Amino acid sequence: MTSVPMDLSVPVKAPGFFGSIRKYLNILKVSLVERLAYRGDFLLGTVLRFLPMISAILLWKSVYLGADTDVLSGYTYSQVIAYLLLVHVSRMFSSMPGLAAGVARDIRDGNLKRYLIQPLDLMSYLLAYRAAHKMAYIATSALPYAGLFIVCAGYFETLPSLATIGFWLLSLLLGFLLGFFFELTLGMLGFWMLEVTSFLYLVNTLNFFVSGHFFPIDLMEPAGLVVFLKMLPFQYLAYFPAAIFLGKIPPDQLLPMLGVQLLWVLFFALVSRILWRLGLRRYSAFGG
Amino acid sequence: MNQTGRYFRLLFSFAKFSLASEMAFRWNFLMKVALELLWLVILIVFYRTLFSKTGTISGWTEGEYLFFVGCYYALEGVIESFFLENATEFSELIRKGDLDFYLLKPVDEQFLVSFRKFDWSTAPKVLIGGVLMAIALKQLEWVFDPIKIMAFITLFGGGIALAYGFLLALASTSVWLVRNQSLLELWWLFTTLMRYPREIYQNGWAWSLWVFFSFVVPAMLVVSIPAETMVRSIDPFWSIWVVISAILVLLASRWFFRRAIRSYRSASS
Repeated sequence: MTSVPMDLSVPVKAPGFFGSIRKYLNILKVSLVERLAYRGDFLLGTVLRFLPMISAILLWKSVYLGADTDVLSGYTYSQVIAYLLLVHVSRMFSSMPGLAAGVARDIRDGNLKRYLIQPLDLMSYLLAYRAAHKMAYIATSALPYAGLFIVCAGYFETLPSLATIGFWLLSLLLGFLLGFFFELTLGMLGFWMLEVTSFLYLVNTLNFFVSGHFFPIDLMEPAGLVVFLKMLPFQYLAYFPAAIFLGKIPPDQLLPMLGVQLLWVLFFALVSRILWRLGLRRYSAFGG
Repeated sequence: MNQTGRYFRLLFSFAKFSLASEMAFRWNFLMKVALELLWLVILIVFYRTLFSKTGTISGWTEGEYLFFVGCYYALEGVIESFFLENATEFSELIRKGDLDFYLLKPVDEQFLVSFRKFDWSTAPKVLIGGVLMAIALKQLEWVFDPIKIMAFITLFGGGIALAYGFLLALASTSVWLVRNQSLLELWWLFTTLMRYPREIYQNGWAWSLWVFFSFVVPAMLVVSIPAETMVRSIDPFWSIWVVISAILVLLASRWFFRRAIRSYRSASS
């Protein structure tokens, strides 16, 4: 991180309405300056980041042209593209970069004692921390995403009803919790495994695939795989919210599936809590 | 000649040393191999899914596309075994200002930076990619043709040269750009252009991408041209262009690398 020189001549008196506005403008300015310190790299990354999306759109275009049909496994071409966009939103909520690795590292390095000596529950602390980070991240990336969705508005054939949007938001929220507790469970393995990074990489790669990040699970072949993947918790991290938005979940299954998503959240919350208890028993803090 | 021999001996020692250090962390090594196998399974399930919906993708039949996948996987194996880890480390050396130690050694800097580590965990990919290509050729009832094989090997080499050149250039930008994101991720995004047949970009506005990445930064040719040559016919224009552009990209990336080294200012010494 670079340090940014900042004008600190903020009035001491109560800020009032315009003062508040100025405060947030300052935060915005600082964030922008920080971004621009890496402008070359930022630009390169932004340009390259579009390539997978563009390639996916063109690849599916070729598939639909080759198949000479409008609908494949219940999805039109536009719906596949809309799905690929929506799955990014799902991921925005459910991905927890570095959470498991961070917990495992704290266990290995002995930094865990920092949390143990405080009147603080590590799991609740991490949850609050992640929630704050997610909110900040979603707030800052809302604008570019809104732009992307407006450009791609043509791919959304029908707009969902208000109720559907409500269910979508609910599943996104549960997706956040599921992603959090799943990663936390993985991180707890650090009590038993010394080096987890390669293992985490493996799990994450698999996760991307089985959660339906690359394309809708329904399209996958053989069909038995679809049934199997829909029994796993991972679909709730990416596929499920996007499918709700596109109206792919039959109305009578919507609430039961949300219930199952909630059960998975509780399951991983419980497992991570048990592993935490068991792990602490064999934990010995290294280092001074 | 003596000089070339010395570089080969160095290469051999690097590989031997890398193997020894990998074997010190055997579980980690196995995990890395498992990861590559998982990636293969994902590629194949994806390929099976696409061809369960359609018979051709931009003119590529199922057997031809399988050959393409095998070719891509093998090429990825070569790049990752020889260069990828080294390129990532190059970025780090610059960031930390540790490049000095390398510049002082009586070996060509580019050689040292490019080949210092050999990643054994990705080497099996070359073999597996070869098996995939063989299966695809059998499916296609391919008739043995030594000229095609020679052309394929040459163009595959050209593809490796192109990919290496791009990777080296990308890594060299670390000297000027303050790097905030990992080179690995940037490279991964960039290789999207090699992962699919170039014909999918021959569509409406994407033609502009096709032209740019065929002639200016010929990334789309890396896998497509060798694969096309083997499963279809030798196209003189594209074959010659791959060879010429490979040489140009190698020269340009070397020039760019040397420029980067010249602009390198050490840190904290």
